[in-house]
Amino acid sequence: MKPRIGIFGLSGCWGEQIVILNCEDQLLDLVGALDIVDFLGGSSVNDEEGPLDIAFVEGSVANGREEKTLRRIRERAGLLVACGSCACFGGVAAMDADHPRDEVIRMVYGENGPKAGWDIGTHRPLSDFVKVNFALPGCPIEKSEFVRAAASLLNGDLPQLPAFPVCLECKMSENDCLLISRGLPCAGPVTTAGCGARCPGYNVACIGCRGPVDESNVASIARILTQKGVSELDVRRKLRTFAAPAIDRNLQGEKA
Amino acid sequence: MTRTITIDHLARVEGHGGIQVLLEGEEVRTVDFEIFEGIRLLEGLVRGRSAEDATGIVSRICAICSHGHSITSLHALENALGVEVTPQTRKLRDLAFQGANIESHALHFFVLALPDFLGHPGVVSLAGTNPDAVKLALRLKKLGNTIQEVIGGRAVHPVNYVIGGFGKVPAADELVGLKKLLSGGLDDCGAALEILSGIEVPSFVSEPIRCAALIPKDKAFFFGDTVQVSDGDWYKRLPVRQYRSLTNEYCVPHSHAKRSVYEGRSYLVGALARLTINGGTILGLARQAWERLHLDLPSTNIVMNNIAQVVEMTFSVERAMELVDELLDTGLVPEAPLPYSVRACQGAAATEVPRGILFYSYELDARGRVAAADVITPTAQNLTHAEDQMKAAVRQGARAGASDDVLRHRLEIVARAYDPCISCSVHVIRS
Repeated sequence: MKPRIGIFGLSGCWGEQIVILNCEDQLLDLVGALDIVDFLGGSSVNDEEGPLDIAFVEGSVANGREEKTLRRIRERAGLLVACGSCACFGGVAAMDADHPRDEVIRMVYGENGPKAGWDIGTHRPLSDFVKVNFALPGCPIEKSEFVRAAASLLNGDLPQLPAFPVCLECKMSENDCLLISRGLPCAGPVTTAGCGARCPGYNVACIGCRGPVDESNVASIARILTQKGVSELDVRRKLRTFAAPAIDRNLQGEKA
Repeated sequence: MTRTITIDHLARVEGHGGIQVLLEGEEVRTVDFEIFEGIRLLEGLVRGRSAEDATGIVSRICAICSHGHSITSLHALENALGVEVTPQTRKLRDLAFQGANIESHALHFFVLALPDFLGHPGVVSLAGTNPDAVKLALRLKKLGNTIQEVIGGRAVHPVNYVIGGFGKVPAADELVGLKKLLSGGLDDCGAALEILSGIEVPSFVSEPIRCAALIPKDKAFFFGDTVQVSDGDWYKRLPVRQYRSLTNEYCVPHSHAKRSVYEGRSYLVGALARLTINGGTILGLARQAWERLHLDLPSTNIVMNNIAQVVEMTFSVERAMELVDELLDTGLVPEAPLPYSVRACQGAAATEVPRGILFYSYELDARGRVAAADVITPTAQNLTHAEDQMKAAVRQGARAGASDDVLRHRLEIVARAYDPCISCSVHVIRS
């Protein structure tokens, strides 16, 4: 029997589902090997109740409705895979900037919004609510990592992801170091690899979209960036863009 | 006696939305296109970030339109900072827009909408009976993505777009590679036309459509500084910097997305609106597609927006080929991004992304940080128009005796005709 798969999106930009659909060369093989039974983004007929071998979930949890949806998916799924940085870390919407949330809401919707009855919460990663068996980071996830991860999971293995920073991939590509030689504020030293150091390859500093790598020292890179002349406030904002809750824990860990 | 027709969770659209209709006999009391995607407040979160950081954040409003968001954001920032990009940069950005248009229309038409026309619940079952159509769609989608990857560095959330140009200008051999793919793409557009010229487009609603689109300044079909609103013979033009008088955003209780009306009436943006207003310049294979697929404009059938997407997809393949040839003829120069100096300033820009006009404006403070940002997406503009068309579809159907199940299915077809991008519409939530 083919494995039963569900693909779900909570609050986010739909990026992971788009990346999955962008695996044009593998898509028909994937569809042949899997029984995709619940994928509202792709089909209007879905089995919304039955058990799932694997559930791929993108997006963050932003309200009660989404929390309920996630818990229900967890009950049905053998393995739950958090796809993308919103699901893994809360994503860009979890930044919360430095302004109180009410103020941000007024800023965006004006004095007349939000209307009564809106379910508005902060954006949180899936692991705040349920057990996540595997986390595939990235904003968005990498096509090749998704296909490899799906293949591993289908064969009963947990996939291996890089446990080293973007910096290492950048060195292996023999890129000129943007941080050292050009003084650009690069998050590569503390960000999980797997993207092939894409941004530095385009002469653009890493913005940390894959979240902090294990055992990274965020406080140290923050100090280095301040020494390069970026203000403390700007450094903090830059580093918190995609994984604010995890970055904050990392920074607090150093203080403790 | 009143009754309701409810669609809890709309399938085959990007994001989370539902529809609720209240009927009294054959009369439609209300139609609510409900948007319950979580609010992400990105316009608010970008405040305080430096101008160079802003684009990488707002890109996350939407995956499928991420190139459109990034480039429109840059146009607004450059407008504010007084940066005038080089002709090469403008052409490469134009090329990225063609790639995005090919990818987005191929995905929406073949994967999300065509199943409705052929009686399938989704593309997986469509692949069982029409494998050639699905394979061809995947090839076109991949072509659009490859163009976006070559110019922007990544198909979803590009990395190579910066204020004043590119991190790295693509190499000539990459464009030569695109040329080969584009010539395959032209063959696929021709084959698509063969497959599609036999299909019947659902036609159950007839309601006049007020359209809005940017007027192209030159051959860049998706770039312009002036918006035209057209309604039959009546039309009005306004400069992009006055866009708020067009969009007039307001909030409604049943939606996390803000709404727009112009002079009391809703309007359509997107492929059908663009071709209605600017279609006269479309020639070549796209013109043949237009004629063979019986696109009569102005149309009163909103479902024809799907066909307009097929015509535009073909146009974009042809236009991309033209741009690649021009860029290769001139020779690509590895230009560095243009420099700029920060100061307190403001600027606005608009482009035509696959689903319609996308407006951006920024206000920067003296240190070059974002003091205010405003983003108005096509789907947010289309929501009120979609409700008006749904109302017409239900009213006309109910009078002709259609069952609630039939009406429910028609509501879904109308909703999908807009190719709504709900994640986008709430982006900002302005929802």
